Amino acid sequence: MPDSTRQDSSRHPALRLEGVTKDFGRFRAVDGLDLEVPRGSIYGLLGPNGSGKTTSIRMIMGILAPDAGRVLLFGEDPARTRREKVGYLPEERGLYRRMKVLEQLVFLARIRGVDRRLASRKASDWLDRLGLGDRAEKRVEDLSKGMQQKVQFIGSVLHDPELLVLDEPFSGLDPINQDVLEEIVVEFHRKGTTILFSTHLMDQAERLCQRVCLISRARKVLDGSLEELKRNEAEGVVAMDFDGPDQWIHAPDVLHAERVPGGVRLQLQPGADSQDVLTRAVAAGARIRRFQRVEPRLHEIFVRHAGKGSS
Amino acid sequence: MMSVLRTVVAREYLERVRTRTFLLSTLGLPLLMLTLFGISAVMGARGGGGEFSVALVDRTGVLAEGLAPRLAAAGFEVEVVEPGSEGDLEPRLAAGDLDGVLLLADAALERGAARWRGGSTPSTLRRLGMQQALTQSALEVRLRDSEDGAALGALLAGGGLEIEPLDPDDPDDIQRDAGMVAGFAGGFLLYVVLLVYGSMVLRAVLEEKTGRIVEIILASMKPSQLMLGKIVGVGAVGLTQLAIWIGLGALVLGTGITSALPLLPEGGLDLDLAAYVPSAGVLLFFAVCFLVGYFLYASLFAAVGAMCSTEEEAQQLQFPVVMLVIIPIIFLMPMMENPESGWAVALSLFPFFSPILMFARVAAGAAPAWEAALSVILMLGALFVTAWVAGRIYRTGVLMQGKRPTLPELWRWIRTG
Repeated sequence: MPDSTRQDSSRHPALRLEGVTKDFGRFRAVDGLDLEVPRGSIYGLLGPNGSGKTTSIRMIMGILAPDAGRVLLFGEDPARTRREKVGYLPEERGLYRRMKVLEQLVFLARIRGVDRRLASRKASDWLDRLGLGDRAEKRVEDLSKGMQQKVQFIGSVLHDPELLVLDEPFSGLDPINQDVLEEIVVEFHRKGTTILFSTHLMDQAERLCQRVCLISRARKVLDGSLEELKRNEAEGVVAMDFDGPDQWIHAPDVLHAERVPGGVRLQLQPGADSQDVLTRAVAAGARIRRFQRVEPRLHEIFVRHAGKGSS
Repeated sequence: MMSVLRTVVAREYLERVRTRTFLLSTLGLPLLMLTLFGISAVMGARGGGGEFSVALVDRTGVLAEGLAPRLAAAGFEVEVVEPGSEGDLEPRLAAGDLDGVLLLADAALERGAARWRGGSTPSTLRRLGMQQALTQSALEVRLRDSEDGAALGALLAGGGLEIEPLDPDDPDDIQRDAGMVAGFAGGFLLYVVLLVYGSMVLRAVLEEKTGRIVEIILASMKPSQLMLGKIVGVGAVGLTQLAIWIGLGALVLGTGITSALPLLPEGGLDLDLAAYVPSAGVLLFFAVCFLVGYFLYASLFAAVGAMCSTEEEAQQLQFPVVMLVIIPIIFLMPMMENPESGWAVALSLFPFFSPILMFARVAAGAAPAWEAALSVILMLGALFVTAWVAGRIYRTGVLMQGKRPTLPELWRWIRTG
């Protein structure tokens, strides 16, 4: 990539969505989504299945056109921008079943503008690295599902994209390969690649992401840096160890109670005062051994806000 | 962006040409045709199959001399046996060494009648052959004694029919005949090409859709580019196949025919081969029909492929498109009986029928230049609209898994793209 192009568009974030909306007939799949992915970040698009993640990603990739709003990839319309800058791993995995592995990878790199010889060399390196070196001349259909997933991942990064868009990249991988993939994603991040990935696995997102956007039922629930979100939500979760009665737990200001050995982890309604809970517990005759405001888990933040949006 | 298109076309082409199916179908068809041609030629030479041995017992003493060579010329294996020793033939008849005995008595000279004794009844064709040979031989013997025997002998040998056209400037029969042949052959070839390669495009689109690879590719190029790439790639496969067939055909015509000639019945190939080679104009029009027709139908097939999610669904849904190719081939024969009639003009101007019907009329010399030109304009117009509509269906359809679109949904796809 020549330096001039990089500088020219470097003022823009890697990705920006402004009021993006998509309808399928009467069904609104994405509703007024705004988000911004800064360059070099690992960004998580989180939400349950069917919340609009894949549709959003397809619009980001310029495969679908939004009905309203706009998508800016490096400050440009994705339909016009040089797609060579972007690597894409769709949720629906697929390859040409009858093509040989190496040929297939070279093809995928070539439609993104990589020259044949370079593509072939890089593909071989990647195959070796992921333990598929001896499968290069095999047909895709002769590979196991896990191997096909790896081949597909290689196909999405062969052209050294500046932005890597991964739709549910970890689904269908066994734990060992999930770790391998996680490691590679982190490595790309260190090299400066911007990474946007969608997942419904909150733990994974919590481990990897710097910034997240939570969506539920086609709408954004909240977004921001993970740190910031957790700080803002710190009021909301209380860990208590106690003996004695526990009926005081069930009250309108408690959103969710999770039993843990020796006590309970309470998620409070937004705006609730944790001091009230403590007072109520003492009044009910519980002996408190520990009372602590704790950092909320991403999952808890999501449940709290998605719940608010749905009621 | 051109290089992306080229990559797609190259992949489509190479992946198909390298398969065993391609090799088998490309070489198999001409081999099959050559074999059939050879078999029919051999059968023709043998007058309907196998040696047929006849023993001639001539009690008249004069007929065998003329009859034996005539029978031999008609494909029989003949031996002349002295009268009186026919009893010795019985065991050979019983053993099947001999197919039959032809007994000639006075009735043969008087009425051309003879008796056949044999294990196998001769076929109608052989019976006619023997009958004719016998009559001719008997006549020959009877005429030999008359005064103008020699002159009548010439009559017996038969003359010919000389044909004089009314208008010497009119293309003669051979040419008109050749035009008809070119029209039928070309029309039929176009029919096969449109169906075979059209449905190949359908399968190529469906394969990408059901294999879920289309989404990755569409992240790097426009749907219209991908669709065009597939159509051009498959088209290139078709052209390769055609080129191989035409090359082989030329090879056979150039060298093979002459070596096949001894196998043919005498006079069976009394044709002026050069007259059957179509003119440059007709060949050019064929190329236009081939190209425009292919793109027209390939777009339709691609749209159908994009609408379906399974092979079975595609089988059903391609039916209307297949009908569009079949209808003109049904009309081809009756139309060529009267290729200048109003309905022939109308049908052949309908853009989806033009590739087959207008080509046939042009080849037969039955369509004026303006009709040919108009049909090309109409075909190009139809191609423009079809490709646009098909492109819209394609770009929505390839990403839709699961259920087939209803007509209102399809309309929305076309409207909003």
